[in-house]
Amino acid sequence: MSDTIELLEAIGQNATLRHASVDELAPILEQAKASAALKSAVAAGDSSLLSEEFGHKPNRAPQISNAPGHEEDEPDHDGDDKPPHPSDPGHSPPHKRTPHEQ
Amino acid sequence: MKRAWRAPPRRKTIAPVHSSTIKLPYYQAVSTPTLPPSNDARCGSLACVGMGMTLGSHLTPLARSHIEQADVVFAALSDGIVELWLQRMHPDVRSLQPYYAEGKSRMVTYRQWVDLMMTEVRAGKNVCGVFYGHPGIFAWSPHKAIEMARAEGFKAHMEPGISAEDCLYADLGIDPGRFGCQHFEASQLLFYERRIDPAGYLVLWQVGLVGDLSLKRFSTGPAYRQALVDVLSADYPLDHEVIVYRGATLPIQKPRVRRMALRDLPGAELTAEETVVLPPGTPLKQNRAMRERLATLDKEASIA
Repeated sequence: MSDTIELLEAIGQNATLRHASVDELAPILEQAKASAALKSAVAAGDSSLLSEEFGHKPNRAPQISNAPGHEEDEPDHDGDDKPPHPSDPGHSPPHKRTPHEQ
Repeated sequence: MKRAWRAPPRRKTIAPVHSSTIKLPYYQAVSTPTLPPSNDARCGSLACVGMGMTLGSHLTPLARSHIEQADVVFAALSDGIVELWLQRMHPDVRSLQPYYAEGKSRMVTYRQWVDLMMTEVRAGKNVCGVFYGHPGIFAWSPHKAIEMARAEGFKAHMEPGISAEDCLYADLGIDPGRFGCQHFEASQLLFYERRIDPAGYLVLWQVGLVGDLSLKRFSTGPAYRQALVDVLSADYPLDHEVIVYRGATLPIQKPRVRRMALRDLPGAELTAEETVVLPPGTPLKQNRAMRERLATLDKEASIA
């Protein structure tokens, strides 16, 4: 049986496979000796069936449950909901407080 | 036509190059005096990189290199299987997922993430924080950790990734430059007085947990979405079509796209990962006074 993570990586990197239909992908997975879980997930169009192989791995989606509208929750915030100033990406000097921050 | 499956080629790993081993071209070697070792940056570093949205498809070579060259990798990813993929790239991947908990403020979780990364940076390690999509979009911890690392004199860098927003434009065929495009975390429209421009696209993130002041829930209900619809109805008719979108995180998935009337949004099932798009509701209105002013300027410049 082929390694499912490697197979997923191969599908993700291949322009033909990434956008292949179920009918096109099924014989390729068969030839590659894909796991039963991967074959059934592709056939059903339901990636949750991969849990048969990897267990149930529900992840919170950090990027979209991280709320920039609530930064007043920060202890160092002044509560005025002022937009923060971006940091300088070019270097990493020790931080110096500006008069506005003091 | 049958295509044989081939495993992805193993990448050649190249040992990090130290500046002392770089041979400069003669014109630099002759004219540039040898500099003493810099004391500006302390030992230890932080790189926050994006994993992109779809396994195998979006990880950039540079982000992968940051991961492979790190001493320790922290991961906040959208899918447990993507996390397994990341573990193939580095022997010490530490998941940040266990720090989430129902009933626990997400800000507490995000501060813990910053502390975890900074503890290793301060210990002199080269740390890589891997976040799904783009590490700087709807992600408090990477920005905060980089700010903190720089303030303490460490090298810190953010490496962009393909974000949910990028996928949304491609999958829905939207060009944000055509009519303009506003993005809001949906709760901002309830907590603050914001000005919506219905002549452009409106993209609302985290509608599934809109109105959650506690930061302790991962979803709110129809009554909260009704409050959002009430705000939006000031600028859009209730029969205005909205698009509910979710991008693919695994390469065997297709994007999920649902269309419905604005009035039906409260009753629709919505996950935290789904994004709501409102196409323009009014046509662009010409600014006649400004056009006349520009015409005058053109005439003066003799290019009309």
